[in-house]
Amino acid sequence: MSLQGFSAVVARHFQRPIYFILVLLTTLFTLSLLSAAIQDGGLSTLELVLLILYTILMLWISASFWTAAIGFLVLAFQSRRAEPVAPSPERVSSGRPGTFKTALVMPVYNEDPERVFAGLRAMVDALTETGRLDDFELFILSDTREPDIWLQEELLWRRWSEELGEPARLFYRNRVENIARKSGNLADFCREWGGRYRYMIVLDADSLMSGETLVEMVRRMEADARLALLQVPPVPVNRSSFFARMLQFAGSLYGRLFVAGLAFWQQDTANFWGHNAIIRVRPFADHCGLPRLPGREPFGGDILSHDFVEAALLARAGWRVRLAYDLGGSYEEIPPTLIDYAKRDRRWCQGNLQHARLILARGFKPLSRLHFAMGVMSYAASPLWLLFLIATGVEAYFKSLQQPVYFFGYSVVPIWPESYVVEMTTVLWVTLILLFLPKILALVLLALDRDEAQRFGGLLKASLSVLIESLLSVLLAPVLMLFQSKFVAAILLRTSVGWPAQQRGDHQTGWLEAIGAHGVHTLIAVAVGAVAYMQVPDFFWWFTPVLAGLLLSIPVSIFTSRTSLGQRAKRAGLFLTPSETEEPPVLRRLEERLAEPSLLGELSTDRRAFWTQAMMNPGVYALHDALLHDEPQTRRRRHILEGLVLQLQDEGEDSLSLREKRALLSHREGLYLLHTRLWAASALEKPLPLAKP
Amino acid sequence: MGAGVSDRLDALDAPVPAAWSVTDDRAAVEQRVRRYLNALGVHDPREIEGLTPQVLERVEFRATLGQLGEPLEVAIEETHRLLDRWLVTELGLEAEPDQISSARAAVLGGHLPGWTRRWAGLSEVSLAESMRRVHFQAVPERAPLTMDPNPIQLCCHRLVPRLLARIGRGLGIRRRRA
Repeated sequence: MSLQGFSAVVARHFQRPIYFILVLLTTLFTLSLLSAAIQDGGLSTLELVLLILYTILMLWISASFWTAAIGFLVLAFQSRRAEPVAPSPERVSSGRPGTFKTALVMPVYNEDPERVFAGLRAMVDALTETGRLDDFELFILSDTREPDIWLQEELLWRRWSEELGEPARLFYRNRVENIARKSGNLADFCREWGGRYRYMIVLDADSLMSGETLVEMVRRMEADARLALLQVPPVPVNRSSFFARMLQFAGSLYGRLFVAGLAFWQQDTANFWGHNAIIRVRPFADHCGLPRLPGREPFGGDILSHDFVEAALLARAGWRVRLAYDLGGSYEEIPPTLIDYAKRDRRWCQGNLQHARLILARGFKPLSRLHFAMGVMSYAASPLWLLFLIATGVEAYFKSLQQPVYFFGYSVVPIWPESYVVEMTTVLWVTLILLFLPKILALVLLALDRDEAQRFGGLLKASLSVLIESLLSVLLAPVLMLFQSKFVAAILLRTSVGWPAQQRGDHQTGWLEAIGAHGVHTLIAVAVGAVAYMQVPDFFWWFTPVLAGLLLSIPVSIFTSRTSLGQRAKRAGLFLTPSETEEPPVLRRLEERLAEPSLLGELSTDRRAFWTQAMMNPGVYALHDALLHDEPQTRRRRHILEGLVLQLQDEGEDSLSLREKRALLSHREGLYLLHTRLWAASALEKPLPLAKP
Repeated sequence: MGAGVSDRLDALDAPVPAAWSVTDDRAAVEQRVRRYLNALGVHDPREIEGLTPQVLERVEFRATLGQLGEPLEVAIEETHRLLDRWLVTELGLEAEPDQISSARAAVLGGHLPGWTRRWAGLSEVSLAESMRRVHFQAVPERAPLTMDPNPIQLCCHRLVPRLLARIGRGLGIRRRRA
């Protein structure tokens, strides 16, 4: 074996041990310092609780830190790469075109259809430029329930499929029942059409991938017959609010360190992030059918965060799951405001907590169990931090009753009991280093690569952006901690927290919305601050960063949601990302597609719901009818449908439930009744929507 | 189902719709048929003049049979039926609802220029082949794979009841089953 081969084998076998040893050593080191500092005269129950919480949280923080640190080393020492992705044209053309098809599948559920289709069209444009469009087919797997959006999806499908011409490569189906949500949607695709494709590339409604990346993903799958899933990390793009631009910057700059680090220690047992990944269809069908978990929600029922479980099932069956940290050209859009970000967390939280039941399930690989545990911790960490802070406050209160504590007079510098100052200060510094050093490392990486630094607006501007982002993340962290703690508590107590659907597009937070979402945070800050200041004043000063974040949550939430502020920051060269400074062609194509005249705009007026209006248009009616399946007529069904049409005409659209509206649109009899009765109404609407689909 | 249906009983006592024989009603029906034909894509006055009498004739016939009901409703239904009958004839179909539906979508979607002329009987050129060529292939041919749920054996699932049951059995106490 050559030296290079030997070192590769050693590296492969020692990567994980190195990582886990570093994480454990760091945790043990900080734990020993803290335990030495707090167990003054024996270990009380409260101190024991503090130590346990600190251990869990330090494991979490040091795991994250060492992932980033290793990622830094990987990126710093790997040979000079031209671009994160940019597979060369030679590599792109090295596959065997035409021998099999890859499906681009986009599961959608009540998404903005214009954006969905514009995104897909941008990707098709990008694929056309690679000359490999013929190797791909597109599937829109609609689970949409809203009648308006359902019809709009069909219209847009029809128009675009006409443009694409023959052979048909754009397919659309709306599922009758959205059983098992997104995982059920994908499973349904595999059951119906999976045999047609060797690979499927799973996209989210806001996913975008460059043509080169799509082709390269297929090439990599072809190169490794045991590779079942290749995840390409998506970079956040396209939002313009201050909050979102800050996250985009952080995701672009720090994200690559974390992703490289994850790929280092996860190796062939990486994870599936739900989208922007290519999957070998047959093993997916063989091994990734998800069972319902026994028991009732939140921990029983359908598996909500299916992606982790699917990756674990593939790994369990002996297939490889990898993270392509070196492959760019993969994008996603993120929530525009802090409140939207929290809403997304609410949706994800329940699914991740459900994984707690899978950690010890039989047969999974140890690393898959770790993925489950990390998924749980990504939300459980918040209530644990909260408990830790409460325990610290209580401990400080009891200490204040017994002995002098850490602050005297107006001194803002903590004065520790003589023998423990070094230990406590070290604990504090180590924790801060673990939290903030990855950001510095990301800047060091930029300093090593001037071209890359320019893509982030230059080293100076990037450093300033990091500084501002760090300060704001200190303010935002306690708010997110309370949000997530509330979600976790609500899920455990089986109560609803009543979040409306997530809004994806740019919009801004108003005062009323902010007060509604953050009013409690502000009150908590005032109450806790007052109690702490009066009872344990020295603790109060320690606690000010957390209190400040909560106290300022309303204005911070409002101002960071401002697109004007985001644009101003952009003009000032702050939070710039490579996708902004050198806009990738696929993002540009998306903008162009979105700027095209809207088909739906031609059809809609303000007076009625889109679906009733659309059903008066014979062309739209006939198209929808053609996409339904024929079924035997029954008198009973006809009577029910007639009743619904009468109700619609007499009491208006709002009198029908979503299910009733869908019933009318799901049966040819219902459609016929609806179309003819709307046209036979004594007072016919003027002007009629006569635009062709 | 809402009150809009259950409270319909009152409608049984309402006066019967105006008689078909009233000239105003005939005019209203004719006007509605013309508007509907226009919405279907029939804009040429000659085509409208050719089709409208056919629809009205059928409405008259329904009235003769005492099946008129709501005249406007019947008029729209008959126009729709006239179109479907023409599609069946043009394509030589026999009870193939999916194909009729597809053909209807093809003509109403504006994919076949001049179809209204043919429908109105003003053209001798058959559109059958053109109609068949317009695909509404929303999904490809099925290529099914089996994808059954894979079992996941949870650890400690119902551990306490299972332990109690085992202890019960060990002590010779049988659990009562419902």
